[in-house]
Amino acid sequence: MTEYKGNPVSEGIAVGKVYLYQPYVPEAVEGEIPEAEVPQVIARYEAMLEGAKKELEAIRRRLEEAGDGDKAKIFTAHQDILFDVAMDEEIRDKISYDLLTPEWAVHRVYEKFMKMLGKAKDPLIRERVADLRDVKNRLLRVAAGVPEKNLAALAEPVVVVAHDLLPSDTATLDRKNVLAIVTEVGGATSHSAIIARSYEIPALLGVPGVTEKLSHGQEAAVDALEGVLIADPSPEQKAEFSARREAFLARRAQEKKFLAVEPRMADGTVVPVHLNVGSASDQELAAEKYTDGVGLFRTEFVYMGREQLPTEEEQYEIYKKVLAAFGDRPVTLRTLDIGGDKKLPCMELPVEENPFLGNRALRLCFSMPEVFLTQLRAALRASVHGNLWIMFPMVGSLDDIRRAKEYLEKAKAQLEERGIPYSPDVKVGIMVEIPSIALVADLAAKEVDFASIGTNDLTQYSIAVDRMNPALGEYYQNYHPALFRLIGYVVSSFAKEGKPVSVCGEMGGDPLAAAVLVGLGMSKLSMGAASVARIKKLLSGLTMEKAKELAARACALPTSSQVEEYLKTELSPLL
Amino acid sequence: MYSKRTVIKNQTGLHARPASEFIALASKFSSRITIKKLSEDEDANAKSIVMLLALGLPMGEEVEIVAKGEDEVEAVDSLIALIDSKFGED
Repeated sequence: MTEYKGNPVSEGIAVGKVYLYQPYVPEAVEGEIPEAEVPQVIARYEAMLEGAKKELEAIRRRLEEAGDGDKAKIFTAHQDILFDVAMDEEIRDKISYDLLTPEWAVHRVYEKFMKMLGKAKDPLIRERVADLRDVKNRLLRVAAGVPEKNLAALAEPVVVVAHDLLPSDTATLDRKNVLAIVTEVGGATSHSAIIARSYEIPALLGVPGVTEKLSHGQEAAVDALEGVLIADPSPEQKAEFSARREAFLARRAQEKKFLAVEPRMADGTVVPVHLNVGSASDQELAAEKYTDGVGLFRTEFVYMGREQLPTEEEQYEIYKKVLAAFGDRPVTLRTLDIGGDKKLPCMELPVEENPFLGNRALRLCFSMPEVFLTQLRAALRASVHGNLWIMFPMVGSLDDIRRAKEYLEKAKAQLEERGIPYSPDVKVGIMVEIPSIALVADLAAKEVDFASIGTNDLTQYSIAVDRMNPALGEYYQNYHPALFRLIGYVVSSFAKEGKPVSVCGEMGGDPLAAAVLVGLGMSKLSMGAASVARIKKLLSGLTMEKAKELAARACALPTSSQVEEYLKTELSPLL
Repeated sequence: MYSKRTVIKNQTGLHARPASEFIALASKFSSRITIKKLSEDEDANAKSIVMLLALGLPMGEEVEIVAKGEDEVEAVDSLIALIDSKFGED
């Protein structure tokens, strides 16, 4: 029995035989041809194109017949690449004038264009390099007369182990027979990870050298919750994994039933469940169907991976998309929260000694008025398409609130000057993540319309622990009673003014903490799409009376571990 | 030779599906067609998907389409119209 660690990017557990997937990797060797043979060699190149085209069309047809239009498009795109005029012309020139063999010409030209795309600023374009490599391999394999090896027809359920999976591998994947995917490379945002999650196949990526360490047919137990693979598990381990797999699948199936239900507690109290949005992709916004609004729209992605700052127009289009998707449900847009450890290529920010206590978020926006005003104008313009709530991050004092509101008024005035409309009903609120603002919540509540607790930062600022420092893991205490007391004070202060408080940090999606937060009087919970079903399930089994009891106790117990222990005992029947 | 300018208005910019549609339309014409990114004074063969991607044309970029050949006017006008249609986005 040997244990390997990896990055669990798609949850699940599986036990089965290893299917070592090592597709034919063609190696083009340098070679030249006699000048007299050029016409025959060109004909050979054309035969390669024809062979590759036939394969691509067959795959595309099969996917279309199976009703998988999205995957079919990948292969349409591969045909576009195969017959790309610029590459085709260069390959023909290399054969005709440089007298290269067709394989070597294909290799040289594809490598050149892959390098070119690899330099693109846009990550979406850089990802196309994988498609070019895929087409190149197909051409060279066809030239070698080797039949296609893929994962489209597996004889039995297996754990697929590979160096990496290419788009054509995952698109044709025989889903019902893939128990788990294990690869040597790739992280949470890689192509394999995204596909694994969308198919709900457990996946463990980034296991170094795994294709050499495991052999075809060997037994493996994969835990893609904890990030562990056990080769040759003992009968006891196999039984344990199987039992945990059943429990995991049962839990997932049960949670799914709760996805679309109204977030109603056992006594009838409704606690709206909102969505945290971080990319505004269509896939992310699809969760609109079962959430009551956006509790946190992180706008940082608009600024990421680019050399120039996004224009007002660009931002407006993105904000409009999210607002329109949610209609009259609130969308809480957090203004730019960058600086310190988070860097952007489109802004030159100095290195700071103490980035978390530095010039970040709202403070940074105050020092760059044009950047801030551009974002505020874009958001205000988008407000006519939905129900906009604007939220300022890293607020430490009433001065910050007043100053931020002045900027908002200025942005409004600038739009009025240009005769551009915005909604008169835009709500203005703050993130509560600095203890100083939490302690004057009674005063803050008089000057804003709402607050949202950013539990991750509030925790690290309250207990003075850098959450990125692995040496401090034990000190970063999620259930520290001080936090619940602090949050309780914010909620009751805002309640006195009749104003709502929500929570949008990781605590909101953690069932143990969420139960306490509801008991403290939180008006709504906001979380990533993956936590929605779990939290709705919890709410359905909890009464407000019970939640209040849990909250009182969580504030009274002396230590974080005792709070956690208590909540686990009390809530285990509901999880 | 015939040319016209416009600005990329769709959110995705000229890649993914819009890029495929663009080269598919460009390939219908016999003229030699190039698309020029005015901010960097670089151009690409408008019939090559790979060149188009490498050029990188996000939303907001000003471009010039230049064609030379029998159907140059029709080619430029229809490609400009396609960009201005925002490729059916929103």
